[in-house]
Amino acid sequence: MTIPADNERRHDQNQYLTFVLGRETFALGILSIKEILEYSAPTEIPMMPAFIRGVVNLRGAAVPVVDLSARFGRPSTPVTKKTCVVIIETTVAEESHIIGVVVDAVNEVLEIPDTEIEPAPGFGASIRADFIQGMGKVRGKFVIILDVNRVLCIDEMEMLTQAATGDAVPSAA
Amino acid sequence: MTDTALPTFIAESRELLAEMEVALLECEQGNAGPEAVNAIFRAAHTIKGSSGLFGLDGIVAFTHVVESVLDRVRAAALPMDRALAAILLECRDHIERLVGVVADGKADDGDLIAAGERLLQKLNMHTGGSSASAANTDVVATAAYAAAPGERWHISVMFHTEVLRNGMDPLSFIRYLSTLGEITHLQLNTERLPSPEDFDAEACYLGFEIELASQEGRQRIEGAFEFVREDCTLQIRSKAQAAYEATAGREAETRDARSARDIKSADNRSLRVDGDKLDKLIDLIGELVTAGAATTITARKAGLSELNESTLRLARLVEEVRDQALKLRMVQIGPTFSRFQRVVRDVAREIGKEIRLEIGGAETELDKTLIESITDPLTHLVRNAIDHGIETADVRRARGKGAEGVVRLEAYHDSGSVVIEVADDGGGLKRERILAKAIERGLITDGSSLTDSQVFALIFEPGFSTAEQVTNLSGRGVGMDVVKRNVNALRGTVELDSKEGEGTTVRIRLPLTLAIIDGFLVGVGGSSFVIPLELVEECVELGDEHRSTDGEQRYINLRGAVLPFIRLREMFAIRSTAARRESIVVIRCAGQRFGIVVDELLGELQTVIKPLSRLFSRIRGIGGSTILGTGQLALILDVPSLLDLCLSSSQAPVAPRIALAD
Repeated sequence: MTIPADNERRHDQNQYLTFVLGRETFALGILSIKEILEYSAPTEIPMMPAFIRGVVNLRGAAVPVVDLSARFGRPSTPVTKKTCVVIIETTVAEESHIIGVVVDAVNEVLEIPDTEIEPAPGFGASIRADFIQGMGKVRGKFVIILDVNRVLCIDEMEMLTQAATGDAVPSAA
Repeated sequence: MTDTALPTFIAESRELLAEMEVALLECEQGNAGPEAVNAIFRAAHTIKGSSGLFGLDGIVAFTHVVESVLDRVRAAALPMDRALAAILLECRDHIERLVGVVADGKADDGDLIAAGERLLQKLNMHTGGSSASAANTDVVATAAYAAAPGERWHISVMFHTEVLRNGMDPLSFIRYLSTLGEITHLQLNTERLPSPEDFDAEACYLGFEIELASQEGRQRIEGAFEFVREDCTLQIRSKAQAAYEATAGREAETRDARSARDIKSADNRSLRVDGDKLDKLIDLIGELVTAGAATTITARKAGLSELNESTLRLARLVEEVRDQALKLRMVQIGPTFSRFQRVVRDVAREIGKEIRLEIGGAETELDKTLIESITDPLTHLVRNAIDHGIETADVRRARGKGAEGVVRLEAYHDSGSVVIEVADDGGGLKRERILAKAIERGLITDGSSLTDSQVFALIFEPGFSTAEQVTNLSGRGVGMDVVKRNVNALRGTVELDSKEGEGTTVRIRLPLTLAIIDGFLVGVGGSSFVIPLELVEECVELGDEHRSTDGEQRYINLRGAVLPFIRLREMFAIRSTAARRESIVVIRCAGQRFGIVVDELLGELQTVIKPLSRLFSRIRGIGGSTILGTGQLALILDVPSLLDLCLSSSQAPVAPRIALAD
């Protein structure tokens, strides 16, 4: 290796995977991305909120799959040939979780230098402000860089699933 | 400390301390023979010896005093009575704390040393001064240890027989050594000493094992023996190295000693294996089981009878390997139960009750991870039984019971699961008091229609406690719901039986293992579910008459008995139209029989349980997932919680809060 590891890491930190969801382009830091899978229907888990599509078999482990559109409070988009599952590793309080997210299509891996990233606007974005890590300028357009630990926050999603299971209990007046 | 042998020392010491505790408790109850005293002595002796090797002088000094007292007991110079056993128990605890300090890698702390000295004084007062002198010399020795700086060396020197004839005096070398540092320990090696007939007065038969604390380097120490270099076998090792070799040797040695003394039966040979390695093996076997199932399916499709046969043979072997591998993780529950002797003794003393712990089914085996996770809930239940269950001696006598209360721990296997019971012969639960409390807490509105078991189930609700006084031990109402939650997390259930005035029994039912189950695969719509096979009694077809009255009548007549059923499609809100035919899987679980209506019966399979993400931790009715031979995922039904879900929703009008609570 001729490139010092430190440099390489910095280089990685500015790399983002862009993908399409509905009509918008989003980006995720590639360091949190483990792999990208072709979409295959996940096994549904009963009594779960809409944003949880189910679980898939990732080499012997049951990995939950989150529908990102539903997570953003939008209607789910139909599955096409380009639909993918991006496998992401999040780390919250030293506990790491592997979660898949469904996206309409993945585009490319880009380098966005820090100078080209604007802070998130207080309002006006199409998704919750705390989900946004920053606005990256790519070829004159903005892409929303997602804060993966907020979007896929286990604690928050766990609470939402409880609300859903609570509703599913019949006559729980 | 970076010593590689240290963890072995710590693990070994803890085991010995556990043995010591059991034996001491026996002594305290007055039903111990000389064997118990020997066991205690051996434990103390070995701990002292090993700590010496690591230069853990605090432990050596303390344990030495305890050991000398024990030696007198062994020689029948001192009686082993209750009071002595109680003090020795405290001493044992102190050694455990000392070992704990070493394990945490902390420096000796002053409080602990002071506590140790107080304990030794107490011991001396009890046993009469003679061991006091021993204690004092040891304190001096410890001080000397501390004063001698520098590295510790272990010197092993064996003088050749000719050394005296060559005009050398072995003693002078040792004298010279003491100018290089402090000789902290010296042992004579007399193994070459011949019988008196063969003894040659001019020959030297002696060797020395010397421990030296010195700032000098290896060369200077070696230099001390320069004049006898030709006439002796010399080994100089720094202490850390010596300790490592010695523990390895000691393990073999103690094993030899044990078999020689026929303390343990000869076949009691065990191997210490890293738990992670075992987990990895079990994981791999899990994969093997899944891959095997896939091969069987493919072979069946191929329709080659020879291939079919060989896959069947293979499957049988895999099954055996799996069973054996799982057995590796199985440990007896006995040691866990024995630990409660101490809990019962201490707690009973604290609150002034006379209580005896009885143990049954100590040889019952269950998965090690289960044992680890069940200890906390058990502790809670045992404390509860002592504190709330058993009455004081006066009340017991007034009720015509023996003054001594009994807490009983029992374990046994029952249809594919393990049952652990915590029973007491105390006052039992008072139905009226529980109802009053539940109404006060707003858990229910009216309890008149509830059965006893439903009433007792209320005490597992969060924030429920009927203890009139909050004691140090329990009664703050944070207990039983935590027990229930912990047990549920292990895929287990808790039941409670109680008769007022006669006692209470809490029954914990747990799966045998957390890794693999035999399952029965069923299909509903496009989804597959696995039902644990040991719960399945039979399968029957759901008649058309029950299908038309959907939503009205939720039971069938199964050979004259009422069989209530649930529809998985409705429970899980599966979006698909009902199949043309439906079947009922008849389930027996926790003493109840009920049916689960499914579309398809897909047969038996062995499955590896894959835990679901924490995301699904709140889900009810599903215990995990598994990968089918086809690579598809199927969900494993958690039947007890499914049943709970049905029961609570059918009680909803009476007890609306229960339906919501977990």
